[in-house]
Amino acid sequence: MGAEPAIDRKRSGDPGTRRKCGFGSRGLFRRIVIGVPYFWLVALFLVPFLIVVKISLSQTAVAMPPYLPTFGDPSTWWSGLQQFSFDNYVWISSDDLYFNAYVLSLAIAAASTVLTLLIAYPLAYGMAKAPPAWRTTLVMLVILPFWTSFLIRVYAWIAILKPEGLLNQLLISIGLISEPLVILNTPTAIFIGIVYSYLPFMTLPIYASLDRMDQSLIEAAADLGSPPLKSFWTITFPLSLPGVVAGCFLVFIPAAGEFVIPDLLGGSRTLMIGKTVWLEFFTNRDWPVASAVAVVLVAILVVPIVVFQRQQARIG
Amino acid sequence: MKSLGSIRRDFAPWIDPASTPFLRFEGVTKRFGDFEAVDDLSLSIFESEFFALLGASGCGKSTLLRMLAGFEMPTSGRIVLDGEDMAGIPPYRRPVNMMFQSYALFPHMSVEKNVAFGLKQERMAKGEMADRVEQVLKLVKLEDYAKRKPEQLSGGQRQRVALARSLAKRPKVLLLDEPLGALDKKLREETQFELADLQYQLHTTFIMVTHDQEEAMTLADRIAVMDKGRILQVATPAEIYEAPNSRFVADFVGNVNVFEGTVRSATGDRVTIETSGGFDIVAERDVPVETGQKVSYVLRPEKLKIAAEPISGPNVMEGEVWDIAYFGPVTSFHIRLDTGEIVKVAMVNATRQSPLQLTWHDRAFVTFDEDAGLVLTQ
Repeated sequence: MGAEPAIDRKRSGDPGTRRKCGFGSRGLFRRIVIGVPYFWLVALFLVPFLIVVKISLSQTAVAMPPYLPTFGDPSTWWSGLQQFSFDNYVWISSDDLYFNAYVLSLAIAAASTVLTLLIAYPLAYGMAKAPPAWRTTLVMLVILPFWTSFLIRVYAWIAILKPEGLLNQLLISIGLISEPLVILNTPTAIFIGIVYSYLPFMTLPIYASLDRMDQSLIEAAADLGSPPLKSFWTITFPLSLPGVVAGCFLVFIPAAGEFVIPDLLGGSRTLMIGKTVWLEFFTNRDWPVASAVAVVLVAILVVPIVVFQRQQARIG
Repeated sequence: MKSLGSIRRDFAPWIDPASTPFLRFEGVTKRFGDFEAVDDLSLSIFESEFFALLGASGCGKSTLLRMLAGFEMPTSGRIVLDGEDMAGIPPYRRPVNMMFQSYALFPHMSVEKNVAFGLKQERMAKGEMADRVEQVLKLVKLEDYAKRKPEQLSGGQRQRVALARSLAKRPKVLLLDEPLGALDKKLREETQFELADLQYQLHTTFIMVTHDQEEAMTLADRIAVMDKGRILQVATPAEIYEAPNSRFVADFVGNVNVFEGTVRSATGDRVTIETSGGFDIVAERDVPVETGQKVSYVLRPEKLKIAAEPISGPNVMEGEVWDIAYFGPVTSFHIRLDTGEIVKVAMVNATRQSPLQLTWHDRAFVTFDEDAGLVLTQ
């Protein structure tokens, strides 16, 4: 009963108070707080992205920067605009190399998302079921790897996975294998790298949704005749789905465009799309094609990103 | 006890030595580490009884309920339901269902699916299940809300869904953990009567845990008053109120005036008690007491009469009006006696204009009949 007036005030939004708020110091503060990240996104994401789109519509040239047209002198702007074309997009759609790289990237991202989920879910479940006193420590342990540079951690995997690396030495010394396994420079190494690197992004949202769950729901299910394993599938898992979905997107989206892990661990035979962009940009010095490849990647990933945003909004 | 029985006069299996209890707790103890939540407790509950476990939080009443549901295992002792020892039977195989204090409705399922959940576990046929769900929802007057999600319901409606869900499987015993605790006062009063009606219709054994004495009194056939893991008294609401067996019970249930004193004389059916304030009480001797024994005399506020003019006779106390609280149906006076004790008096406002014109600091006279209170030795 006591809470009702407060809710009413919030809902009706009392226009008088709200207007005052806008000019008051709290309103100004709120605008700054919201404005800073927006400014950040526009200046450091949207503007650079529009520049990339612009380059993707240009033609490669032996020049500095290595494409045409450029928009230096305002008198050439109109003729410059007329030179824009979709040639680069036509080009990447006509060469199987790009198509295959996209498909491979999405496939690797999807497979590693599933693998990450299979490892992260039991981990998160164990954390949520641990005694409350331990939980903070366990969450700390999950985010502990972030204290070291991502690059260094991926390099460390080279030392573990290479033929004379730690893993092979261990397996040979305990007599499980006699010849070293070839893991480095294979897709397996990419999976290991992605699963390892993105595990916290899957674990934490799942943990959050499991931790939030009312334990009496499980008791209620048991009380109504449902054995523990069945309760897991009918109650726990469906209620943790928001966390699972969030985790999957947080892994899938960056994994699809991943460059460092396939480059360092995957060798030259596994050509993912991030690597393709890199090759076009630095080896071929074909900035327009590299930009077109990047723009198409964003276009492909926009679909899951929008779905993810909507799903998050619905939960909120 | 003189006519302090059940209100359902035809229902009192606990006084019939031939009737067998439906549910028995036999010397049940539950320890959590060093803490003894339930201490060597024995209790018999009969079929179709509406039984209430009443006590303050932490008295062990919820633990007792959770042991019956199977969420906690007794450290020692037995729980026998309908002839079957419950030891080792997991919660999902027990013929009892619980209505949780938080309701514990499954948020991702509609009202209908929530209610059907237990039936699905029994692999009941689809058609029968639909009929049963409809019937139970009708019982709690929610048949129009079957497709809604719990978040789209009010607190009172959620409470009904929880009730419907726990009734759907037709349990041998329905356990209610603070069933009305989350409702506001008005709704709680309405729901109390509905719950009582429901139990009367279904003849299911109900066991309710509550800290609200009014709720226990309104609903239950019998009440067990608990404190520190033990049962202090098991009796009908009227007995608990009018004939509490200890000061704790008298104090816990309802308002009470307690006079500490010593028995001056005990002759025939009369006992005279000299209170610590130096005042003499003449009372009925319904418990065996001896001269010189320390006793408490407990007296409910509504059993006292108040007057502005001096009254003659035994059991008259004199003092000053210390406080007045007007509640509508009754007015409560706090009288500070000349001996220093505060006495609570409740006066029923039987007429619109009170004949008694008493205000703060007026002299007041308080009296009571010899059978108004109760002599307690513990």
